[in-house]
Amino acid sequence: MEKKAVRNLRLCTKDCLCLYVCPTGATDTENSIIDVSRCVGCGDCAAACPSGAISMVPAVYPEQQEKKEEVCFALNALIEAKAEEEMTAASLARKTEKVGLRRLMKAVTVSARLSGEDLAREAGYMLPQGSPALALLKALRDNPPSDDFPLNETNRIIEAFKGE
Amino acid sequence: MKYVCAICGYVYDEEKEGVPFSELAESWTCPGCGAEKAMFDPVQETAEKETVSAAAADDGLRALSPRAMSMVFSNLARGCQKQYRPEEEALFRKLSDYYLSHSSEGAAEDEKELAALVSAHLKTFFPQAEKAASENGDRGALRARLWANKTELMIQSLLSRYEKEGEAWLENSRIWVCSVCGFIFIGDRLPAVCPVCKVPDWKFELVD
Ligand code: SF4
Ligand code: SF4
Repeated sequence: MEKKAVRNLRLCTKDCLCLYVCPTGATDTENSIIDVSRCVGCGDCAAACPSGAISMVPAVYPEQQEKKEEVCFALNALIEAKAEEEMTAASLARKTEKVGLRRLMKAVTVSARLSGEDLAREAGYMLPQGSPALALLKALRDNPPSDDFPLNETNRIIEAFKGE
Repeated sequence: MKYVCAICGYVYDEEKEGVPFSELAESWTCPGCGAEKAMFDPVQETAEKETVSAAAADDGLRALSPRAMSMVFSNLARGCQKQYRPEEEALFRKLSDYYLSHSSEGAAEDEKELAALVSAHLKTFFPQAEKAASENGDRGALRARLWANKTELMIQSLLSRYEKEGEAWLENSRIWVCSVCGFIFIGDRLPAVCPVCKVPDWKFELVD
């Protein structure tokens, strides 16, 4: 399977071994993001990196485990429940003058979002390049929900993931 | 007799502790995760499963609300972030923000309404999701449901404690959220790992 190198900027200590070993110069960029168009996937940079900052990922991710409709329905209902909690906590955080309560409501807002996101992953939206995500984007592109819908952004994602 | 915390699994063994569970003060909290005493169940009792009504399963058929769509897209943004793809991450954020700006505002008067909502969700959507996930052998869905359920129980516990102790409790307490699973921890010393998803404590973020 064809691979590409990706670098975790948080782990990278700029030891620069990857710059010496890369046969194509793909690791040497002004924004520190490995240039995928140059990377030939040899894996030498990942092997040389003393900080474990480089991962080799497939150039094309595998199709995800298929999700059963029944599971998606149940998880969607749960995502909706977390959305309702986020909405409620966020408005209470704004309204209240009690300092402690405001912090607690902020925490619940953040927490509800994280749970909702995690549940969405398991409801078929694990991989941004996966077919459920792509189908959703295309449906929105063909039927934008309103005039101010970010159509341009949607098209750019579809374009970027073409062939992945 | 033994009692186990529904959130982190901490076991209170009356024999070892020398104090019957029932005699612990109402203000006693779980040494593992800080949940209220009410979160503990006696060990031998097989937890009574709520019967899941099939009716509410239809709820999932609805198109997602704007706020739920916003969650789907902020999740996809995180997916791009994990793949070190900042450009696509930013594009997905735009979509998430769009839906957030089209979401309705909450109308709740006070935190008791939130507590009622949380309790209702714990009785309906959580057991329904567990049923669907286990019947279909979907371990990923089971995992996400379990984490969200534990996090939800903690929220329930914190709201109930706030109702009893009010502002005085939070005045000098720090509030943390696990950036991975959303578990909320209140206190000065974080547990070494998140009681729910087990990531190290540096993954917690302080809420101010
Ligand atoms: S070898 Fe690793 S730590 Fe060094 S610059 Fe490259 S990615 Fe960063
Ligand atoms: S995998 Fe090979 S070509 Fe790609 S960045 Fe690393 S060293 Fe360079």
